[in-house]
Amino acid sequence: MMKKSFIGSLLLILFSGFLIAQDINLPELEGFKKITKYPVFVPDNLWDFIDGAADTYLALGFADLHVAEYKKGKEVIKAEIYRHRDHTMAFGIYASERSPSYRFINLGSQGYIIDGVINFFKGNYYIKLRTYSEKTKTLQAEESLARRIEGMLAGEKELPALLSRFPDDGRKMNEETYISESVLGHQFLNKAFKAMYQSGNDSFSIYLMQSGSADETLKIATEYLAAAGIEPDQLENRYVFADGYNGTIFLAWKDDLMVIISGLAKDQADIAEKYTSDILK
Amino acid sequence: MKEISRRGFLKKGMAGAGIVAVSPSILASTVSSNAETDIICRTLGKTGIIVPVISFGVMRSDNSSLCKAAYDKGIRLFDTANVYQGGNNETMLGNLFRDFKRNSFFLATKVKPVTDREGKPTDQATPEKFLEMFNTSLTRLQMDYVDILYVHDLSNPEMLEYKPILNTVRKLKEDGKIKFMGFSTHRNEHLMIDAAAGLGSWDVILTSYNYKHANLTELNAAIKKAAAAGIGIVAMKTLAGGGWLDRERTKPMNTSAALKWVLSNPDVHTTIPGMTSFDQLELNAKLLADISLTDTEKNDLLADMADPGLFCSGCQECIPQCPRNLPVPDLMRSFMYAYGYSSPSMAKNLLEELEISGNPCEGCNDCLVSCSRRFRIKEKIADISRLVNMPTEFLA
Repeated sequence: MMKKSFIGSLLLILFSGFLIAQDINLPELEGFKKITKYPVFVPDNLWDFIDGAADTYLALGFADLHVAEYKKGKEVIKAEIYRHRDHTMAFGIYASERSPSYRFINLGSQGYIIDGVINFFKGNYYIKLRTYSEKTKTLQAEESLARRIEGMLAGEKELPALLSRFPDDGRKMNEETYISESVLGHQFLNKAFKAMYQSGNDSFSIYLMQSGSADETLKIATEYLAAAGIEPDQLENRYVFADGYNGTIFLAWKDDLMVIISGLAKDQADIAEKYTSDILK
Repeated sequence: MKEISRRGFLKKGMAGAGIVAVSPSILASTVSSNAETDIICRTLGKTGIIVPVISFGVMRSDNSSLCKAAYDKGIRLFDTANVYQGGNNETMLGNLFRDFKRNSFFLATKVKPVTDREGKPTDQATPEKFLEMFNTSLTRLQMDYVDILYVHDLSNPEMLEYKPILNTVRKLKEDGKIKFMGFSTHRNEHLMIDAAAGLGSWDVILTSYNYKHANLTELNAAIKKAAAAGIGIVAMKTLAGGGWLDRERTKPMNTSAALKWVLSNPDVHTTIPGMTSFDQLELNAKLLADISLTDTEKNDLLADMADPGLFCSGCQECIPQCPRNLPVPDLMRSFMYAYGYSSPSMAKNLLEELEISGNPCEGCNDCLVSCSRRFRIKEKIADISRLVNMPTEFLA
């Protein structure tokens, strides 16, 4: 015990600041040979594996990637497990690559199947499986592998809680995304969930941000208003203004939550108010 | 709900709009367009396309307003790929540009044939799969053709003459579904570009190119040769690390200086910096009219080049220099895992894979390895090799 404490202390001194690393041992798949010839990819070499697409992963807290191939003759299934900083980031990268037209399945927090691809997320993980085979048995094996991986990985199976604040009325299902930085292209707006809505012929977007404190939310809102040239003597919690890049913006906040609506005209305040009130109630 | 609360939006209305006009910092885009000013353009090799020196790598942007603003600034070439954001990136661009005159912009996309880790084609690198992906891209883009189709991520010169894919891309060009054929590369770039220069097949090359590149001498020579052969050269990864000098994102890079450095090479015809914010766009748009490096910018680049950082570029020049034939790049990677990514278990795993036991430099007096990144190799190896004796249970 003493020895362990000593070594532990030594490690602390030698490598202070280290986080706990995680090793992932991908499951076996009956009838297939598992090949793990790939290195564990980390932020600096993710480009080697997915080239330019890496930037989006890095912006969403990518930590590491484990890859394995499963081979049976010419049949190949490739499995990739991306670990991100947290559940929200894992949702963010998953959602950035999903399309509402895909066939969604009950896998992890959410998953889908499309043309030999099975993608899902669970906890901090985004899992991608791919086969180019069209054989039914291989496709079934791929789904079986996906479920084994799901069972192996720990973490939340629910969608991020903040998404439940988006009203259902008019919402385009499975088009919700998470933007980690430069929401609406503004560097002072970060970490927002976005949902798309249809109301009659109007399409618009609602961004929902939770800063962690009312003071922080106020600070962000004030910065946005100041950038728009609005510096009122007495701050209220609802504003409509023209953002030169994004058109009319409806901005509202309450406690640590902030709502931004983009895509509605300035005379559609009733629609904006309806959704804002619902989200912030 | 018709009734609007006292604090509702209707009460506020657009009262703020009048105020907005007074100091419109976020309205700047509407008044500072570069489109009417003198934009520096270059001809993209034998394609004859005249493009501004700044183009747009759209890969991370999901904001069509940003792309529209870039267009308004005078940027004309937009670069995406079949795989970016699972195809949503192409869809976003398609929704934006469907209302534009087709000859008012250039669109480049990329399709990747399935290759193995050595960059060689696999059984899945078939014309059918390639065409299927390309047609999906066209559908998402809502276009009849793309201006440039890059065969994505080639790193093995064999692929430049791989007939199943090469003939497929040629046929797409003959059929008018693509205007020009190219390839993208960010490994073995100098070998790829040099090989392509002698083939005559390729119209455009998209290559990583920045002031920190490990093989700059060879890469510059290859680019010169390819440009002389009429191949258009587009530079990517121009910021050598995404705009930050450190992984913790505490030291911002002088991104204008980095881009200007790239464009100081007249054989590079345009660049595709990634942009996600209007601030970045404003900064890059300034370069449309001025790419001359100031003394301050030169000094910033020199200072950064003097900092070796943690990332081994993998140039392999060290390997023949080491009298013990140590896998120095791998050992540097292990060092990076430990100190850069705070992951000693990953570092130790790699050391075990390399069968390192103890300090492999032990007994070697003067280190003969001269690192192109100026790493102090012997010190780093001595440091990281201490991990092999650490119990894994303390690291996992």
